[in-house]
Amino acid sequence: MVVLRAHMCPGLELQLVRDLREADISTVEELVSADLEALAQKCSVSYKALLAIRRVLLAQHTAFPVSGADLYEDLLSSTAILSTGHPRLDELLDSGLYTGELTELSGGPGTGKTQVCFGVAVHIALHLKQGVIFIDTTGGITATRLHQMLQTESSSLEEQIAALQRIHVFQLFDVFSLLDCLCSLRRSGLQPVAVGGACVRAVIIDSVSAVISPLLGTRHTEGMSLMMQVAALLKALVKDFSVAALCGWGCAPCSGGVLEPPSPHTAAAGGARPEHTQLQLLKVCNAHQVLQTALSHESGV
Amino acid sequence: MQRPVWSLPLSSAVISKLNRRGYQCTADIEHLTTGVKEEEASEVLDLVDHQRYPVSITALELLQREAELKPIVTFCSELDRALGGGIPLGKTIELCGVPGIGKTQLCLQLAVDVQIPECFGGLGAQCLFIDTEGTFFLERLREMAAAVVRHCSLLTEDQEQQDAMRTFTVEKILSNLFVRCDDSMELLSQISDLPAFLSDHPEVRLIIIDSIAFPFRLHFEDLPLRTRLLLGAAHQLAALATTRNTTVVMTNQMTTRVQGEGSRLIPALGENWGHAANIRLLLQWIDCKRMATIIKSSIFSVSIILSVLLPVHT
Repeated sequence: MVVLRAHMCPGLELQLVRDLREADISTVEELVSADLEALAQKCSVSYKALLAIRRVLLAQHTAFPVSGADLYEDLLSSTAILSTGHPRLDELLDSGLYTGELTELSGGPGTGKTQVCFGVAVHIALHLKQGVIFIDTTGGITATRLHQMLQTESSSLEEQIAALQRIHVFQLFDVFSLLDCLCSLRRSGLQPVAVGGACVRAVIIDSVSAVISPLLGTRHTEGMSLMMQVAALLKALVKDFSVAALCGWGCAPCSGGVLEPPSPHTAAAGGARPEHTQLQLLKVCNAHQVLQTALSHESGV
Repeated sequence: MQRPVWSLPLSSAVISKLNRRGYQCTADIEHLTTGVKEEEASEVLDLVDHQRYPVSITALELLQREAELKPIVTFCSELDRALGGGIPLGKTIELCGVPGIGKTQLCLQLAVDVQIPECFGGLGAQCLFIDTEGTFFLERLREMAAAVVRHCSLLTEDQEQQDAMRTFTVEKILSNLFVRCDDSMELLSQISDLPAFLSDHPEVRLIIIDSIAFPFRLHFEDLPLRTRLLLGAAHQLAALATTRNTTVVMTNQMTTRVQGEGSRLIPALGENWGHAANIRLLLQWIDCKRMATIIKSSIFSVSIILSVLLPVHT
């Protein structure tokens, strides 16, 4: 629902906007679906002028269909697969994290979600030499730990420093700041953080549940709506800029090694994000060896 | 893609006014807002202001900042070694354990240790102790304070340390900041008040809540509400800890989980509470010895699960 404003397009003067509003046409949708002949008579403006305005507004606001072949070409040329740095995890994820896709990492407390996120960030910054955006909502990010991991991977101090400079950390503690951050990243095209020629290849959020859980479960549905908004923004971000997204979600621990079904919230979230892969982390032995992980694909649920 | 108006942190009255006027997304508001009162309009326009970017820092700058933060020693050398020097600043730590294992004792010790002057390697800071159980023993704190003062006076070598020792006395240590909260509402409002409190008392670098479990385990029938309130409170504490480089220590109680034939002790307050703190220390009796285990930490690799022996007199 886009409100009509003066000078939105050539020919749409202030007087015309007022006349249209008097004729009960205040949004672009109403103008585009109205009977232009009758409208031209009511507002005493030429039919051709209205037709021209409608054509421009449609061009500005519609989505354009793309052929499947073009879409496929585009996908082949823009998708990259980013290794996570853990060979077994890469196997499960079919070689790694795909750009243009959102991967969710869920698990109980202390299972290693943050460590996996650190490992992915370190691997991408050090070996792939690409930028990483790390959004921390729990206060759990410790650069000392990142440095420890870098020291085990590389002995050169310059490389470690360069890798640390490629990891950009945002520390946010509420869902509105998270939305602000994602919106501004999208609007700026990830430019402000692309420093020194390293373009951003991954966005890691640890964890989304920390900002959303306090809002869920009430009678009011704002929590769910805000969660959907975060998901939609992330999806748009990964598609537009060909980056991979990894988000952590804290859930109840699994008992006795049996996978409990995801909570209604993750299932609902999964429904809004048909292309995300959900990793349930049961136990992580160390940063380089995943013992038991279960993978479930949600396709078009 | 448009950002809808309901995703802005506005009151629902303002949002419904905007929706009635046909302003569904922020792009609509960028130019004009009519029909709402002037203060509300300027508040809305401020929120829609595109020029506000959340600020990021690189991991290198974060590392440099962390290097300047000294940990708080516990005077239990094995625990200090396991934690990398002591309790780190800027994190939330949860201590779980059965009654009588020493959680309050450890908290009292930390309350004294954070005040050790900087020339002795401490922080020279203050502590806020929020007591919800009524287990705060002044006499024990006095004993610990006297022991630490004695320890520091034995280490005094140079003039700076001698000067510091003149002011580092038991009385000074006891002039801690202390609050007693009787129920969950008082505790929650105390937690909400903390940012303003810390602005007034910038020397406070340690906040102890002993215990966070007690007020919430009494009289709370609505468990989902309890979880939401607790997670919200923990999140506020995490935000406070990170932005002010203050450590928050919370103690938790234990509860029994019945599984099949047997049962075992697990930390109280539910399973989702496990996500709240950055570091979790579990204190337990193993073969008649007090052991501390790090069951959750982002600082150490997950493979290190260390059990350390706590001395009887901490």
